[in-house]
Amino acid sequence: MNDIGEFTLLLALATAVYGCVAYIMSARGNRIDLYLSADKTPFIVWACVMTSSICLWRAFLTDDFSLQYVWAYSNIELDTFYKVSSFWGGQKGSLLFWTLLLSTYMLVVYFQNRKKNLRVVPYAMAIMLVIVVFFLVLINFSTNPFERIPLPPEDGRGLNPLLQNYWMVIHPPTLYLGYVGFTVPFAFAVAALISKDLDDGWIRMTRKWTLISWFFLCMGNLFGASWAYVELGWGGYWAWDPVENAAFMPLLIATAYLHSVMIQEKKDMMKVWNMSLILLTFSMTIFGTFITRSGLIQSVHTFDEATLGYFFLGFLFVIITSCAALIISRLPLLKSANELDSFLSRESSFLFNNLLLLGIAFATFWGTIFPIISEAVRGVKITVGPPFYNQVNVPIGLALLALVGIGPVIAWRRATLSNLKKNFLKPLLAAMVGAMAMFPVIPLGSRAEIYTYATFVISIFVLSCILAEFYKGTVARMGLHEESVAGALSTMAWRNKRRYGGYIVHIGVVMIFAGIAGSQAYGTHTEKHLKLGESFEIRGYTIRYEKLVAIEATNIKTRIIAQLAVERDGKRYWTGHPEKEFYKGQNQPVSEVDVLSTWKEDLYMILADFREDESATIKVYVNPMVSWMWTGGWIIAFGAMVSMWPDRLEQRRRLDRIRKQEQLFLSPAQE
Amino acid sequence: MDFIHFLELIVIVAILLVVGIPLFGKLKLKKLVEAVDAASDKYKHLLVRKEETLISLKDLEFDFSTDKISEPDYKQLRHKLEREAEVILETLDQLEQERRKNKPRKSA
Repeated sequence: MNDIGEFTLLLALATAVYGCVAYIMSARGNRIDLYLSADKTPFIVWACVMTSSICLWRAFLTDDFSLQYVWAYSNIELDTFYKVSSFWGGQKGSLLFWTLLLSTYMLVVYFQNRKKNLRVVPYAMAIMLVIVVFFLVLINFSTNPFERIPLPPEDGRGLNPLLQNYWMVIHPPTLYLGYVGFTVPFAFAVAALISKDLDDGWIRMTRKWTLISWFFLCMGNLFGASWAYVELGWGGYWAWDPVENAAFMPLLIATAYLHSVMIQEKKDMMKVWNMSLILLTFSMTIFGTFITRSGLIQSVHTFDEATLGYFFLGFLFVIITSCAALIISRLPLLKSANELDSFLSRESSFLFNNLLLLGIAFATFWGTIFPIISEAVRGVKITVGPPFYNQVNVPIGLALLALVGIGPVIAWRRATLSNLKKNFLKPLLAAMVGAMAMFPVIPLGSRAEIYTYATFVISIFVLSCILAEFYKGTVARMGLHEESVAGALSTMAWRNKRRYGGYIVHIGVVMIFAGIAGSQAYGTHTEKHLKLGESFEIRGYTIRYEKLVAIEATNIKTRIIAQLAVERDGKRYWTGHPEKEFYKGQNQPVSEVDVLSTWKEDLYMILADFREDESATIKVYVNPMVSWMWTGGWIIAFGAMVSMWPDRLEQRRRLDRIRKQEQLFLSPAQE
Repeated sequence: MDFIHFLELIVIVAILLVVGIPLFGKLKLKKLVEAVDAASDKYKHLLVRKEETLISLKDLEFDFSTDKISEPDYKQLRHKLEREAEVILETLDQLEQERRKNKPRKSA
């Protein structure tokens, strides 16, 4: 089977190279025979990569340690659940997994578009195949997951214990689905540039792809934060680690793109800007892989054998220079036909939101690459820590949060100042009432606390704006149709999924902002060394250390569990079980925290250390409002689903109308 | 030659056949796309703009009904959008007429 896996990888590469050349030649030479020939390659490439992936999965599930990759990331005792996820646990498998997702996306694009716009589609398929070729070259000639060990050992080294967590099965695929998904709009954008078919056809063809990719990238970031929170045992969820930043930056730029592309659809403007944004988003996804695979930047996420940095850097250079050259060469065709009607309009607020999002992305990028630059220029690697990011990004983030509320209230094209004042009055009043109510109870002693207070006040303003939008829309609909409140609200939201789905996403964003603010400013923690029966207090909780238990969970895993009674007002409230896990062959034990999560706060417990006399060092964090972030994430997921839900009626009719009229015009006169 | 190598050979031959048949078979059509003139491109673009202008009119109605713009601004913008739509429709008509003139009628 391993031979087959290796063979199909080579076959996939050869087919992808042929497909790429044939698609380009078919488009340039306007040859249908070449197109029909190339048209078979996406499926063949996908089938080959899928076969190869199945072979690797089989090797993991059957403990085939003759493969160096399986030996390095699995062992006999590993749960089947983790054997499946070990596939992407290391660099070699993760690249194959990336290629599998990319070829699967390519296959879906192929089925969706193979008979549509044949001026653009061949180039788009060729671009996607070029990217597949890049990854297949790396897999075949630099990091082959089917590399053999001449004398296979009896057991493997095992998966890093930190990766033996259920998030390992969820987080990387979700993030990769987001990363890889942006290849599709990027490929269509470049195809539109090459074919000079530069109306917004490519945007319409890839609108859903952009939303889906954004959704996965957003969820991937949140899942990653959640994983860090429960697994790394330091009480936090985000550390501005270079690899976290690498996943965050494309999300910011894609969010800017999602907003600005609406202006192009509505007003036929900002073509260069949107092209640049999608190019930048895709480049950032490649930059992310460069960070994890270069070994140049230290991060907890980087792969052990991170050696591919220069390949990715070279690829990134080629992408950026060739796309920039293409955009410059097409500038006359990308000129905007229209101008902004007014500076007081939804379009302007979107432009401002773009600037803020790019501002945060640039600050994050600068902080991420600064260690490389400082080492190159001064010979000293200076690492940029959270204070830099917080100092720069928090004020910009607050302005962005305010815009989340301001944007929907401003009319498209031109807003009337008097109406605007009227519409903002109630949300502003709500925010002021909230500010006054919170003022006596919220501490304002430090900059972080002032920022948090501001975040809460702005959050109330934004939520009021969004809820007012739902209310006004419902009332307007009830005035036009005889419907109940529930009927009007649901019909209005369902018929305008993109708009109201977006508003729901905004509610989720507000929840995340509030959660971050609350947990960053008002958290507290303590660390105590306790003997059995001893207790301590933290924020009204009494933590009593009751017992320490050792369990041989498997042949390779031993669990040391501390039992901690949590009391409140003299009554037992909860029992926490933080633990340390020891894996055979691994030097460092892994902490498994225990968390009591409520709307108000998380009680986060870590067994930091223990001794033979059964005394233990217990670390406890009280993190307020962390669950708001996860709830916000699910609200974003719901809103994104609403936005992405296929519109069977109006939009389809609209597209059919355009297509039919186009056909009538292009076909010979019928009279 | 063992079974695996034989299988690999079969797969290679199958792929070559699948990919090669369109290159050597007889096809009814020779061209991938018909030559698209500037008028067709413009027509296609205007069709999209027409739909977008109609959506903008709907958005404007919505913004007015939710009290986001004043009546004078609403009227002015509505007039502007209607004018835009008119120009688009006129240009579409013009392009259609030119197309009819330039294309030979099919024999009855």
